[in-house]
Amino acid sequence: MSTATTSKNPPESAPADPTGSGVSFLRVLKSEWIKVTTVPSTVILLAVTVLVMVGLAAGAAWGTVQLANEAADRATQSAPSAGATAEAAPTAVPGAAVPTAVPTEGAGVPTDGAAGDSADDSPGGPPAASSLVREVPSSGVLFGQLLIASLAVVLVASEWGTGMIRSTFSAVPKRTPALLAKNLIIAVVSFIVGAGAAFISFLVARPILGSADLSLSLGDDGVLASILNTGTFLALLAVFSMGIGTLLRNTAGGVVTAIGVIFVLPLVATILQNLGDWISDAARFLPSNAGAQLVMAGTTAEGDLTQLQGGLVLGAWAAVLLITSIVVTKKRDV
Amino acid sequence: MIEAHGLAKRFGDKTAVDGITFSVQPGKVTGFLGPNGAGKSTTMRMIVGLDRPTAGSVRVNGAPYASHKAPLREVGALLEARAVHPRRTAYNHLRALAATHGIGKKRINQVIEQTGLGPVAKKRVGSFSMGMGQRLGIAVALLGDPRTLIFDEPVNGLDPEGVQWVRHLARGLAAEGRTVFISSHLMSEMAVTADHLIVIGRGRILADAPMEQVIAGGGRERSLVRSDDAAALAAAIGSDGVEVRRLAPDQLVVLGLSARGIAEAALSRRILVTELTPQTTSLEDAYMELTHGEVEYESQGIEQGGKETPNHP
Repeated sequence: MSTATTSKNPPESAPADPTGSGVSFLRVLKSEWIKVTTVPSTVILLAVTVLVMVGLAAGAAWGTVQLANEAADRATQSAPSAGATAEAAPTAVPGAAVPTAVPTEGAGVPTDGAAGDSADDSPGGPPAASSLVREVPSSGVLFGQLLIASLAVVLVASEWGTGMIRSTFSAVPKRTPALLAKNLIIAVVSFIVGAGAAFISFLVARPILGSADLSLSLGDDGVLASILNTGTFLALLAVFSMGIGTLLRNTAGGVVTAIGVIFVLPLVATILQNLGDWISDAARFLPSNAGAQLVMAGTTAEGDLTQLQGGLVLGAWAAVLLITSIVVTKKRDV
Repeated sequence: MIEAHGLAKRFGDKTAVDGITFSVQPGKVTGFLGPNGAGKSTTMRMIVGLDRPTAGSVRVNGAPYASHKAPLREVGALLEARAVHPRRTAYNHLRALAATHGIGKKRINQVIEQTGLGPVAKKRVGSFSMGMGQRLGIAVALLGDPRTLIFDEPVNGLDPEGVQWVRHLARGLAAEGRTVFISSHLMSEMAVTADHLIVIGRGRILADAPMEQVIAGGGRERSLVRSDDAAALAAAIGSDGVEVRRLAPDQLVVLGLSARGIAEAALSRRILVTELTPQTTSLEDAYMELTHGEVEYESQGIEQGGKETPNHP
């Protein structure tokens, strides 16, 4: 029956199928979306990412509660004061519970206006949550970036590994739209996963923190931005990682390289920081370090990039990798 | 319609395709024949823009592949059996590719039916046999109902029934007026499928002619003649365009003269002919003659080829 249908079409005339004609970016986008959703491991990995991020945040919330309770105990011993718990925690043991916490954070040392705000606001309510508390929703990003970076590499490099890329570039021989669509999809998905996981974390962390009378609300200074920027961080990191995967065209090599740049380089910089100031100066501009500033909900330490600067630096990394990968791929044989 | 002009591809210092010029016409099946490593696949990949030519250009239906608005509607290509993510189902693979051109479900189901993929369409491609993988590749090629089809070794891994199916499909597509370009290293397959042959060896075109002409060895007839007076017969028929080779004192091979012509010459000079056998060269013979010396990995130690056959340029 189908043979009969095709044979009726005079091949010399215009396309036979009246439904749709040529390639358009929206169509390529749809195609890439179908690809993402029809390989089961992708969907599973995304679900795992959300779970792990929420789990980590719940752990961070729990750790903050422990810290607050300890501080409260100490506070009652020295000078009993009702509302001091929230502020006391980070002052007592700075940065101990959450790895992302900025060490200099503390109510007593306002370095600029933002720090002043965090000291007292929330009209009529309990004392404002410290940045430690406010960053609990985004604390899962530490592990989330590992999974999202791997996923971004796998999504693109597996096309080379399986040969699928030949089908992809046969259908979209200009290549750029296919790569842009892939990047757009991984960016949007990563944003939704990041911001979504951070918001779920927020909902999960609230009752946990509440058990120690620590309050956390979307209205708190920087909380909403931190939740949304968890998504921004992962989206930009995903584009960065997809660029690596596209350039290397190899899943294992791409994942190792991405993890190396995201996790190992900052560690190396920390180990070597005594060799010279320039090392820690440069380390601030590493993708993950710059990106970490995005999810900050408190004061920026002196010399650190601000939230906006951090975002711009990570964005620049992502843009460079995206453009390089497109330029290189257009020239390559596949 | 495919037109290649001075098309070349080098990988490092190795030349895969050496500046070839050819055209593939619509309405017939054109076979692309050559030994392994001759440059067939590279040429086909360049046609659809997967490999970037080092020099020269190739146009399909009047324009470079990548500049078509709807490439899949112009050219359908089966390049490799596996250009598919193994964990995706056949149906979803087709759906993803169809989406780029806004090709609807109806057409997807049509090609699934046409290629006999129905029972396995919802299965992961990773579990497919090689034959099923080939059918899926052909389904992708047919998806856009294109005017030009390129099949790289389509019968690889197919069972005899599948081989016959590909043959009928190719002939049917050509009969509809489409351009069909099929590569193979199997001469026997090309002999029954193709109307026109392009023979390639070491990246260069060795022959580009209708099938009968290639088989006939450039149009020259060939007869084996045995006669007690072979020398006299050779002198009698020797003229322009006729080549006589003496195999034995009483045995000749005559090229370029019909059996009837030889018989008439012998009769007029009253020479006794004891055997006169017109020889049809098989495609295989023609192919061996053409590609001799062009095979990249010739088996060593076998000394039989090439004694009689002159080396073609």
